[in-house]
Amino acid sequence: MATREDVIEDFGHVSRTAGTVFRYLLLAATLFGIVALAVLLLYVANDAIQPLTADPGWHLTFFLTLVVPTLAVSSYLFRTDPVSFRFGASIVGLLAVSTMFAGGMAMIFVDIVPPVVWFGYVLALCLSLAGVVVIERFDRQLPFLARFVAAGAIVVGAFAVVPGLVQSLPVYPTDDILLTLSFGAPIAAVVGRYAAADAGRRGRLLAIGAGVVAIGLGGVVGPLLGVTPVPATVILSLAVVPTAGYAAGIVRRHPARRSGLVLTAVVLLGAFGGAAAVDALGFAGPQSWVDWQFLTSAHSGDAINAGLYPAIGGSILLMVTVAALSFPLGVGAAVYLEEYAPDNRFTRFIDVNISNLAGVPSVVYGLLGLAVFVTYLGQPTGTVLIGGATLALLILPIVIISAREALRSVPDSMRQASYGMGATRWQTIRNVVLPRAFPGILTGTILALGRAIGETAPLIMIGAPNVLFSLPTGLSSKVSAMPLQVYAWASLFASDPFYQAAVPAGVVVLLVVLLSMNSVAIVLRNKYQSDSQ
Amino acid sequence: MSTDDITRDLTRRTENSPRELLTRSFFFLCAVLSIVTTVSIILMLTTEAAKFFSVTAPLMGIEGPTASVVDFFTGTEWVINNEQFGVLPLVSATLAVTIGSAVVAIPLGVATAIYLSEYASSRAQRVLKPALEVLAGVPTVVYGFFAVVYITPALKTVIPGLGTFNMLSASIVVGIMIIPMVASISEDAMSAVPDSLRQAGYGMGATKFDVSVGIVVPASLSGIFSSFILALSRAIGETMAVTVAAGSQANLLNPLNPTAYLEGALPMTAAMVNLLTGDVTGGGVAYRSLFAIGLTLFVITLIMNIISDLVAQRYREEY
Amino acid sequence: MTDNSEQEYTASTDDPTADEMSIETDVSTSVSSSDSTQHANTVVSAENVSVWYNDEQALQDITLDIPENQVTAMIGPSGCGKSTFLRCINRMNDLIDAAHVEGDLHLRGKNVYDDDVDPVALRRRVGMVFQSPNPFPKSIYDNVAYGLEIQDKEGDYDEIVEQSLKRAALWDEVKDQLDQSGLELSGGQQQRLCIARAIAPDPEVILMDEPASALDPVATSQIEDLISELAEEYTVVIVTHNMQQAARISNKTAVFLTGGELVEFDDTEKIFENPESQRVEDYITGKFG
Repeated sequence: MATREDVIEDFGHVSRTAGTVFRYLLLAATLFGIVALAVLLLYVANDAIQPLTADPGWHLTFFLTLVVPTLAVSSYLFRTDPVSFRFGASIVGLLAVSTMFAGGMAMIFVDIVPPVVWFGYVLALCLSLAGVVVIERFDRQLPFLARFVAAGAIVVGAFAVVPGLVQSLPVYPTDDILLTLSFGAPIAAVVGRYAAADAGRRGRLLAIGAGVVAIGLGGVVGPLLGVTPVPATVILSLAVVPTAGYAAGIVRRHPARRSGLVLTAVVLLGAFGGAAAVDALGFAGPQSWVDWQFLTSAHSGDAINAGLYPAIGGSILLMVTVAALSFPLGVGAAVYLEEYAPDNRFTRFIDVNISNLAGVPSVVYGLLGLAVFVTYLGQPTGTVLIGGATLALLILPIVIISAREALRSVPDSMRQASYGMGATRWQTIRNVVLPRAFPGILTGTILALGRAIGETAPLIMIGAPNVLFSLPTGLSSKVSAMPLQVYAWASLFASDPFYQAAVPAGVVVLLVVLLSMNSVAIVLRNKYQSDSQ
Repeated sequence: MSTDDITRDLTRRTENSPRELLTRSFFFLCAVLSIVTTVSIILMLTTEAAKFFSVTAPLMGIEGPTASVVDFFTGTEWVINNEQFGVLPLVSATLAVTIGSAVVAIPLGVATAIYLSEYASSRAQRVLKPALEVLAGVPTVVYGFFAVVYITPALKTVIPGLGTFNMLSASIVVGIMIIPMVASISEDAMSAVPDSLRQAGYGMGATKFDVSVGIVVPASLSGIFSSFILALSRAIGETMAVTVAAGSQANLLNPLNPTAYLEGALPMTAAMVNLLTGDVTGGGVAYRSLFAIGLTLFVITLIMNIISDLVAQRYREEY
Repeated sequence: MTDNSEQEYTASTDDPTADEMSIETDVSTSVSSSDSTQHANTVVSAENVSVWYNDEQALQDITLDIPENQVTAMIGPSGCGKSTFLRCINRMNDLIDAAHVEGDLHLRGKNVYDDDVDPVALRRRVGMVFQSPNPFPKSIYDNVAYGLEIQDKEGDYDEIVEQSLKRAALWDEVKDQLDQSGLELSGGQQQRLCIARAIAPDPEVILMDEPASALDPVATSQIEDLISELAEEYTVVIVTHNMQQAARISNKTAVFLTGGELVEFDDTEKIFENPESQRVEDYITGKFG
């Protein structure tokens, strides 16, 4: 070994240039895809919305009423009180996203499910729930199986009888009142309870009552603003009241965040105020291809008149079917694999199986749907039912895998505590594991549904029609979907007018829906992670 | 309580009570559904493909036009109306997309993973990771649209000989699509490397670059390779982006020849879509060729998934 | 607790002619560690070193000198800042965002916390062995040669690897399996591998943070024998919560007590047989722990 110096003057210096260059290269690589996508999104938004075709006055008005105040308030809040800023911004986001979904829901009640039918089913549900609760009171006198059978009979009976009964009534209240009672009231109940959770029974009842009244007024106020009663009621119940209730609840729990609502108010006032101003001043807005006409008309050979309405309805119905099928089955499989399954070869085989299924191309799932549902089971092609079933099979492995992750993240010590008290497996799962894992399961399901909304190939395989002129109305109606319609425009109807007008507009609508779903999932996940830490 | 009471209480079998059995059976059936799905897929593909090939068609009771196995796997022409069913052009096109997207996604994905795992602050991570998820969440049709409408025209200014439908744009767009897969799986593998190894490296006077490239990456190699294989398997199965962007002319090309990417071609998945949307009459040998291609595709992706599992298992370091 | 020998050194560090110095120091370093420590040179000299983790102070104004070619042990109950102090010597605390260091720490006369010091360069002159063995998932050879590779040192790597493994008492057991992964060795062997890895680049000081606490008794005693041998070539600073271990192998012992306070620092025999401070005596006799 070398002789040691007595004194060190300098330890020397190690060159970091390679490392620094490397670091910047890595950053560039990381940003490449994101920036490329951002650029592409800007291009397509520009093509679809054509912001530059608007009057300069239009731009100026909105700049003054919306952009400047928002930026001013945001930067002030961001620097002085970031928590309030996030709260205010989240309320704005919540309002925007929920209004969008409310619009979709309104479409269902306007064209697909008459409010009377919905009312009938909700009534049946309430009656059967009441019946089940009554039966549960006899849980000492009757054995489990008897109670189970009795409850099943009540449920089946209620659903078989009540909806038909309701529809055969000679007179019933108007659509919007029916909706208020059967759709708005339950939502108001949940929201009111949350908003006034600490105010005691009277306070809660007051809040719920206020919510119901607000929703009920929708039928009256809506037409004054140019919105028909049914959509108005739906938007109030799904967007306005829940958001207001959530905001109220948060402000009651964290009074300091109240200042965030200033941001919300500024944005809303700016948007509506600006809209009113451009109307009054007569400035023309952008000649956007994404307009009300596009969203509410059906396909047409003429690109300018083509619309996305049936495809949007189709996507909504498909999503409902897919969620109804894949959520219980997927979560059920995950629960079995995580909580019940012994660690043997059979279980490992199922594991490997599921991860392989997750990698199978979506076309092959389409073939599966074609061969099993259409050819083998003889179903008609391209209906909501088999489209939904095929897509559900496609995302089932994804739902299972993410539900398993969520279940795995529940600390084992909680299960041990429950078992240690003599709880059975099902009791532990129902009371301890599932509640804790629920947000993660929800996030995973939302992301999986987002994947399903964007899938085209399986729908093509099962024979979904390329163009649909009317909204699908039931499980056996032919269905189209947003991506499928866009694909049809881009390939079968490929021509300059379509590529200029319909296709970019369709892409933008599809992206807005998807990005909203992804954001909801991400926000949920962040909130869940920060809550559990 | 008497001994009898206690005995009765303690010997009560709660795990087999009706409620427990019911719930357990329900969950079990859900799990079994996944096996049923796989079995159905395999059964369906093999039986229908058997109807397609001449050697097995008689077993399935099919008479009429069929294709020979040899011709299918070695033929170089895919013209449905002429009843020419050589799958090689389709495979070569799929291979081209796979290689092209690998060239884009693998370097960028691994670089992203290293940056996120070793260099990025937690604030940067909170922004970048969701942004990458957005990249993965864009529907594939939209990527195809981007390729045809924005990327191809932009590339045309630099490469004059580029066709309107070409493999290059398709590969770029599929590559961008699978970057998040490579990045997130590799990043998981890198984060799993215990911090004590990094401490050991820093303690010896290694720079961050030394530690990241010389210690962390080699230690997580199995996870990184497994991410490559999974991402490529996704690229192979990618349908709509290539259908829109790569064209509909089946074209035998050499995937290793860069100039071949300037033309359009027909990957396997796009061929399947074409069979259903093109001028193809239902039933008949053309219809059944769908399943033959589907079977080939399924077997390829299955093998790749199995390899990826094996690689991860075998080379995973046990800390 | 400054050593008398330090006074000799403050004078000499001002002298620019290093060559003259090395002749004088050769004489002193040939003094074996069992001789009076007053003749030993100081390798590491801490002056009023304090460390905070956010607002909590973990080290209180530590001043001590670590002599050359001896084993200096730092003992005390857990959480008293011994590892924190160790990690100040090679500035590993820089890697912790919440840590804030004040004071001076000289390595052979140069203050390692000077603005012009590159921590990476510093760590190349100091070796560190951690509590749990952490060999890289590379071959045994590559593990030992790692320090040489990153410093791009010249010399015959094969020979240096062999020497280091011999000095770490591992050569005989692995000489035929240098290609094997380091992770396939037993716990005690892995820790000796980590020691070989640390000494291969010929560091000034070897820092050891509870090197035997994760090992079984047989492996522990092997490591302890090794440490005593290592002191012939290197200066060893070892943190240990095992008092008997400190008594067995160290020449000087520093006792850290609650709150990061250095209560006493002296020859090991003195600390264990006749400590000045009552608190130290209480700790040694197990009144608290």
